[in-house]
Amino acid sequence: MSTFVLEGLRPWVIQRVSAVYIALFLLYLLYSAVTAHSVDFDTWRGWLFQPLNSVSMALFVLAILFHAWIGMRDVVLDYVHNIMLRILVLALIIGTLLGSGLWAFRALLLTVTG
Amino acid sequence: MKFNIYRFNPDSDSKPRMQSYELNDIEPGTMLLAALLRIKDEQDETLSFRRSCGEGVCGSDGMSINGLNGLACITPVASLKQPIEVRPLPGLPVVRDLIIDMEQFYQNYRDVKPYLIVNDPMPEVELPQSPIQREKLDGLYECILCACCTTQCPSFWWNPDKFLGPAALLQAARFLEDSRDQAREERLANLEGPFKLFRCHTIMNCVQVCPKGLNPTEAIGNIKKMMVRRSL
Repeated sequence: MSTFVLEGLRPWVIQRVSAVYIALFLLYLLYSAVTAHSVDFDTWRGWLFQPLNSVSMALFVLAILFHAWIGMRDVVLDYVHNIMLRILVLALIIGTLLGSGLWAFRALLLTVTG
Repeated sequence: MKFNIYRFNPDSDSKPRMQSYELNDIEPGTMLLAALLRIKDEQDETLSFRRSCGEGVCGSDGMSINGLNGLACITPVASLKQPIEVRPLPGLPVVRDLIIDMEQFYQNYRDVKPYLIVNDPMPEVELPQSPIQREKLDGLYECILCACCTTQCPSFWWNPDKFLGPAALLQAARFLEDSRDQAREERLANLEGPFKLFRCHTIMNCVQVCPKGLNPTEAIGNIKKMMVRRSL
């Protein structure tokens, strides 16, 4: 992922593609929430248990991670000019995002299997 | 009519200051450049600024006018809120008063190789273009390099030595769109990377201030499309 720092076109395309997916998935999530019979954990679990939903939710988490990474990278490249500080901040962002991502996947797995 | 003008003389001043001037009997239709020339003639001959053609063709008198970059020679003073605040173009070093050092701007311009590159042997006659091919250069070739757009761009302020800025990128698009040019691949490869082109976040300050009514943001978007097509 760190090679992304040195690229221009690929992150730009991924940022746009992930934005479209995030928007579409959020609409789908909203639709599912509105049409749900009841709003409780078992309904949520049942919804996530369907293969389409769990896979698209996992993709959503991935899309958010990439989108956030590219956006934060842009902010750092714009404003943080000291190279050592820049590396440190980028590493902190990658760590935070990877940690949050793993946490989200763990929660997803526990909800579906546990 | 009241003016607040940025003054800095590196020989005698340790830091810049704003100086007030007042002009009476302004004729209708007076442009800001004419007002500045009157101040220089009648009140303060040390006031320094660049100007040449005086009709929006040469691009010498770009300056920050009430916070927006523009050419003083085609900006009517009657259209401006008073006191009219005049500063040098932001984001480049000040040489004196309203005169800036344009070297970084020209360096970025040179980086895009702003000339036709033809590898084939040159023909005995001209390189002809169809009217449709020629039309693609409209909105690109008219740039006068006044630097109003580039010095209004925050991405250029933060990374002037890495991000090329709207004026240079508009010229990059001008030669990428040219049917006679044969260096398309190299030009697109030169713009790859996170800085040269992709620091543009499409905020369109450049479009807002361009005194020639050009659209660098659209040109930058077209370069991105060319890059996508090239890599697919």
